[in-house]
Amino acid sequence: MGNACREMKTENSDIKIEIKDVRKVFGKDASSVVALNNVNLKILANKFTTIVGPSGCGKTTLLYLLAGFEQPTSGQIIMDGKPIEKPGSDRGFVFQDFALFPWRTVLGNIMFGLINNGYRKKDAREIAMEYINLVNLVGFEHAYPHTLSGGMKQRVAIARALAYNPEVLLMDEPFGSLDAQTRKYMQGELISIWENLKKTVVFVTHSVIEAVYLSDYIVVMSARPSKVKGILKSDLPRPRDFVGDDFLALRKETLGLLEEEVQKEIKLDSL
Amino acid sequence: MINTGLFPAPAKIYGYLVVLLHQEIAGHSVLLSHIVVTLKRLFLASLWGVAIGMLVGVLMGLSQRIYRFCDPIITLVMPIPGIAMAPLFIVWMGFGDPTIITVGTIAFFFPVAYNASTGIRSIDIHLVRAATIMGARRIGILFHVYFPWAAVYIFTGIKLGLARCWRTIIAVEFIAAANWGLGYMIWDAAEYLRASIVYGGIILLALTFTCIERGLIVPFEKKTIEKWGMVRS
Amino acid sequence: MIEEYRTYLPEAKTVLMKDKLLKYGQFLFPFLVIGFFWEISARIGIINVDTLPAPSMILHEFYSLVWQKGALQRHLVHSLYRLFTGYILAVVVGVVIGTVLGLHRIIREMFSPTLSLLISVPTIAWIPVLLITMGLGGKTVITAIFLGGVFEIIYSTIAGIRSVDRQQINAARIMGVKGLGLFCKVLLPASLVYVMPALRLSIGYCWRALVGGEMLSAMIEWGIGKMIYEARFWNNIKVMFVGLIIIGILGVLLDRTLLKRLEEETLEKWGMLAER
Repeated sequence: MGNACREMKTENSDIKIEIKDVRKVFGKDASSVVALNNVNLKILANKFTTIVGPSGCGKTTLLYLLAGFEQPTSGQIIMDGKPIEKPGSDRGFVFQDFALFPWRTVLGNIMFGLINNGYRKKDAREIAMEYINLVNLVGFEHAYPHTLSGGMKQRVAIARALAYNPEVLLMDEPFGSLDAQTRKYMQGELISIWENLKKTVVFVTHSVIEAVYLSDYIVVMSARPSKVKGILKSDLPRPRDFVGDDFLALRKETLGLLEEEVQKEIKLDSL
Repeated sequence: MINTGLFPAPAKIYGYLVVLLHQEIAGHSVLLSHIVVTLKRLFLASLWGVAIGMLVGVLMGLSQRIYRFCDPIITLVMPIPGIAMAPLFIVWMGFGDPTIITVGTIAFFFPVAYNASTGIRSIDIHLVRAATIMGARRIGILFHVYFPWAAVYIFTGIKLGLARCWRTIIAVEFIAAANWGLGYMIWDAAEYLRASIVYGGIILLALTFTCIERGLIVPFEKKTIEKWGMVRS
Repeated sequence: MIEEYRTYLPEAKTVLMKDKLLKYGQFLFPFLVIGFFWEISARIGIINVDTLPAPSMILHEFYSLVWQKGALQRHLVHSLYRLFTGYILAVVVGVVIGTVLGLHRIIREMFSPTLSLLISVPTIAWIPVLLITMGLGGKTVITAIFLGGVFEIIYSTIAGIRSVDRQQINAARIMGVKGLGLFCKVLLPASLVYVMPALRLSIGYCWRALVGGEMLSAMIEWGIGKMIYEARFWNNIKVMFVGLIIIGILGVLLDRTLLKRLEEETLEKWGMLAER
């Protein structure tokens, strides 16, 4: 049964990433914007954590900080005891616009990470083929990205991010560019892949339904300057029923937290 | 009727060209020698133009400072026709190959540099980020992300540059060639009012360039850019 | 090595005078730097000023040409006169021919191969032909300029006319517009999207034809191209530089100011500009 509760994480089991007092400011002086302020969060290992929040609240920024694409203005992000300072192959990233290399085939894209991490071409190819199998794209190894549909491209992107076996998978609204049906299909695919591999996932999305469907933990961010507003835990067994009572209850609760912040964000934007 | 001196019949043009083809100096056909000389100049100017153009273009693309410095210079100098620079180089380097090839190189250089820089600057930053998090280092990103991406633009630049270089070389040959070259042949013929050679030469000009374009550019494009679906018109 | 240019501005900035000056300053900066080092090198003696004159000498020559001899203005006036004559001719003739060809498929297909052939000849190659048929004077130059620009205009006008939405034509016809009125009020503005870029391109081609033509026409006395060419016989490198710089500046001005403004006044205002 479901177990939605409002509490900050106090479990000590396997903290994978710790975000401590993080503050991120863009720009300088008069035109500076505080995207994140006083963010404290613990990401647990092997759990699926989703970050939701109003538009422009800096959830993508937070994800970029985890990836190492940006550095915090102050505060620290620690993963496995070491601070995250730059992007590295202990993490994988999936972009909303896929970001596949158009000049490489599906296989070439997936092998990229492997080769850069020292695998020999032969081994890289074998491993890449495994992942192609995992995302159900067998037969498309030698296709170029521009010939694939959106859903297929994203599957390549996911395979590519997983192939070199990173500890953490970061996903930035990966299904945002897909149509509703494909999106639903991909959500199911992602969960089955995840149950297989059980990696630590940090997933950013707009969609509360998506968050409730996928996650073990839902982190709700406040409006700008953002901090963690609340964390909801979900023990619902997977695959989850979109119209089950527990599902809807959790959804309602998440929306409750979120709605306040959305209103605040609207006011901010209209200033 | 039409002054056949100035507007000779096509048959006459063809006839004269054939004569030139068979006319020989030192064992080589005169006509072919002219064409070969011009092609040689084109080849050398292309080599230098593309090499230097890509080098500068990539540097401009990667460094905002270098770009801000070079862009105004390119904006000002690129539109200056090569033929206008020819007298300057004639004073510096005399008649013949050095001048012609240098001015041709300059003509080729600008579109290549400009397009290369635009290509690099237009990179989809997500691609760079994706590569970085997958473990690629700076040099790797340069060669495996920036270059393939910019290849489309660079290719456009080479197409433009080639046409420019060709036109410039012919034009400079009008005034600076020392006895050989397709442009020289046309100019010389014009000076002696030999209309057939003039028209014949122009037709050869168009033909030669079309051959180069069809033979080199188009197949290359098919193999790379079209395959990758990255075509830009 | 890889600098990302990041901006994160929540509000739009209005363009201030200060910013405009900054933009011009940024444009001039590289030239000032190069000029500075060039001048120093010339003064110390690293550069041989007979081969490469110092900027101060070039400026002095410029001054002398303009104020003392009044020569530069005369050259410029003659060049610009030829340019605009040829350009306007190219535009008028080009638009007329383009409209006719655009509207009548049969005529267009008849002339299409000839047109393709003609357009593939580089403008400069026309000049020897013109020289032997029209002589070595100014008329040749203007004709060369005309030829430089006309083909581009013809092609773009054809494309523009063909792209005009049939509905717009019908709507106008119902309102009683026909003939020349139809042309001016409907066809022309609608095809401007295609014609405008060609106008900008053409003036560049015409400009090149102008310089080339002037350099190759032995019988003309005045003109920027001629000025540069003549300077060779006196080994006067300073004059050449003055000429080249003038050509460069004019080239930028012609495109950036003249035609950009025209484009702004028409296409941008009407919201017809495709994504830039």
